[in-house]
Amino acid sequence: MCNQNGGNNCFEYVDSQMPRVPLQLVVNGEKVIEFVDPAMTLLNFLRIQLKLFGAKEGCGEGECGACTIIMDGHTVNSCLVLAVEAQDSEITTVEGLSKNGELSILQQEFINNDALQCGFCTPGMLMSARNLLDRHPEPTVEQIKEGIAGNFCRCTGYQSIIDAVISAAKREREELI
Amino acid sequence: MLSKYDYFKPDTLEKALEYLEKNSETRILAGGTDLMLLLRKDAVSCEHILDIKDIPETKILSYTPKVGLFIGASIPVNRIAEDDVIRGVYPALCQAIDGLASFQIRNRATLVGNICHASPGADTSAPLLVYNAKVHIASIEGVRIVDIANFFTGVKKTTVKENEIVIGVSLPDVEQGDNSIYLRKARIKGHDLCNVGLAMRLTSKKEMYVAMAAVAPIPLRLTELEKTIGTKELTSELGPWIQEEIKKYMDPRRNSVRSSREYRFHIAGVLAKRGLLNLLEKEAK
Repeated sequence: MCNQNGGNNCFEYVDSQMPRVPLQLVVNGEKVIEFVDPAMTLLNFLRIQLKLFGAKEGCGEGECGACTIIMDGHTVNSCLVLAVEAQDSEITTVEGLSKNGELSILQQEFINNDALQCGFCTPGMLMSARNLLDRHPEPTVEQIKEGIAGNFCRCTGYQSIIDAVISAAKREREELI
Repeated sequence: MLSKYDYFKPDTLEKALEYLEKNSETRILAGGTDLMLLLRKDAVSCEHILDIKDIPETKILSYTPKVGLFIGASIPVNRIAEDDVIRGVYPALCQAIDGLASFQIRNRATLVGNICHASPGADTSAPLLVYNAKVHIASIEGVRIVDIANFFTGVKKTTVKENEIVIGVSLPDVEQGDNSIYLRKARIKGHDLCNVGLAMRLTSKKEMYVAMAAVAPIPLRLTELEKTIGTKELTSELGPWIQEEIKKYMDPRRNSVRSSREYRFHIAGVLAKRGLLNLLEKEAK
């Protein structure tokens, strides 16, 4: 439901002109100190101020999961969190999954299993899958379905994503001992 | 977002209550999964946002045998559902949480937020009703404790006043042999709000408690039905009877977007029968 807010396209961030507040947090292992608009969502902060374009704005209402990030060890919809709420928190976005320019096992398995078509949901899907594997290193199909239930994919039909998570789990258990 | 607000995150309850006393038009922020939507759609205008996540009283989640469970206002529902002890003692509460929205939302959304938002279909309201939960509401005059049965006053309306903060919810402890179940029916599995939510509890004294969400302007505790059940012998033969009987106690909306009135009557009957049989079966083991 767009264009509800007085003709402004709701996908566009509008500066509230409120006094800026200092914000200190850790993003993908790096300390960040910025001044932010208190009306800015965490998603907009990541995209606009930090230029991390991985997390996407799909619905802006916490339905689609395209903006999923990991905050203090838990997946959250960054469109439903104010940037100021992230004070002193540790955040991982999809940009933080790869190490030294090499894709993580999970990302490689998404490619190997064709777990994406248009790719819009993929960053959020990867974050949910990453968090799921951290919680359940040997997930059942049911656990995977529950784990990615908050992430819509309108291309794949999910089966290839589930396959990717299963094979990533297997490889992680074998290779990361 | 058109609202221009002051964001305040106090670290004591006193500071929060003073701020609330001074500033009308304040919205309280805990999980934010409702408030952020309202702000985004400009459905509310607020001049102040009071973030309660640093207040120590709201960060408590503790179960004490013989006393019960206290859930602070900042506790995300996943913290409750992940606790095996709580799941063992209050199964219906955890089952209701399992059905809420998605995993990511449950990492932010709070139980107290769910009841303060007071949607008629709030999933966690029905289990709280069958467990006779108490809501702890603080203001500068002190803390008042309200029975959950008197907490809801209408659609998205509660007894909480402008200068008050709900700091938590407490559930009395249960005796050995107590069991409960929460059943819900939604249009699709997952995200959707429920068409009918039903919590049933069979106490160790063999009393049956029943509460429902989404079938009236406020979540209902069906005390009259409970009395009638109390006069009957609890056997599986009660199944078809409760399936019809429960329909006398609900008043679903006539023009709901989610389902027709008739459908809600039908589903409530089916869930009631299913819940009863399930609880009796567990008892037999």
